[in-house]
Amino acid sequence: MRAIGKGSLASLLAIGLHFTRIILWIAFFGLTIAMLTVPFIPAILDLFQSSDSINVDVDTDDIESAGEFIEVAYYFVTVAVMLFVVNRLLEILKTLRFGSPFVKENADRFRSVGYALLLGELAKFAFGFLTLFVDDNVDINSSMFSWLAIIAVFVLSEVFHEGSRMKEEQDLTV
Amino acid sequence: MAISVKLDRVMLERGMSLTELSERVGVTIANLSILKTGKAKAIRFSTLEAICKELGCQPGDILSFDDGDD
Repeated sequence: MRAIGKGSLASLLAIGLHFTRIILWIAFFGLTIAMLTVPFIPAILDLFQSSDSINVDVDTDDIESAGEFIEVAYYFVTVAVMLFVVNRLLEILKTLRFGSPFVKENADRFRSVGYALLLGELAKFAFGFLTLFVDDNVDINSSMFSWLAIIAVFVLSEVFHEGSRMKEEQDLTV
Repeated sequence: MAISVKLDRVMLERGMSLTELSERVGVTIANLSILKTGKAKAIRFSTLEAICKELGCQPGDILSFDDGDD
């Protein structure tokens, strides 16, 4: 299989990523609307008021809506991170199709992907912590594989950084 | 940079243009320009040999080392 051009793996990946981006944008707008419509403020206020008092008078509906809001916010952050990663990957593929991928910008793009994934994982912990305050079963979990993927992306960033330096040296060798 | 390139001076002395040298040496004008302006990070022995042959000079006539701060 060819590396670049029509029918290459890069062009197939680009098609797949473009398709994924469309789905992610739809999900992003859907989640934005969901976040705005979930009545979260009264729920959270009631939640904190009830946790301060000994005589707990909890409105179950508010707790559930707080849990729903956390879940929606969690998916919102996840989709936003995925959208950011897909956009950076498309930019990287663009440099591959129109020249050399070993440029400093790609090293920076991989690094930003690493930071975005790291932010996504840390957000999982933050949302997981928030779910402790609500009596709702919100499925938020972090896997070892995700952390390994983050490390792999940072390693890849360093490889591209060195690759771009070598490419520059090669280009400036007469 | 500590190594300075004096290719333009030697070319002027020989009355040779960049285009002519490029054709004779077989190196693109863009690459010769990189060398002439001191932007090059390295030079191949084969390129240096060809330039010296065409300009009738020694490598030391083209390259010099300035013992000063970078």
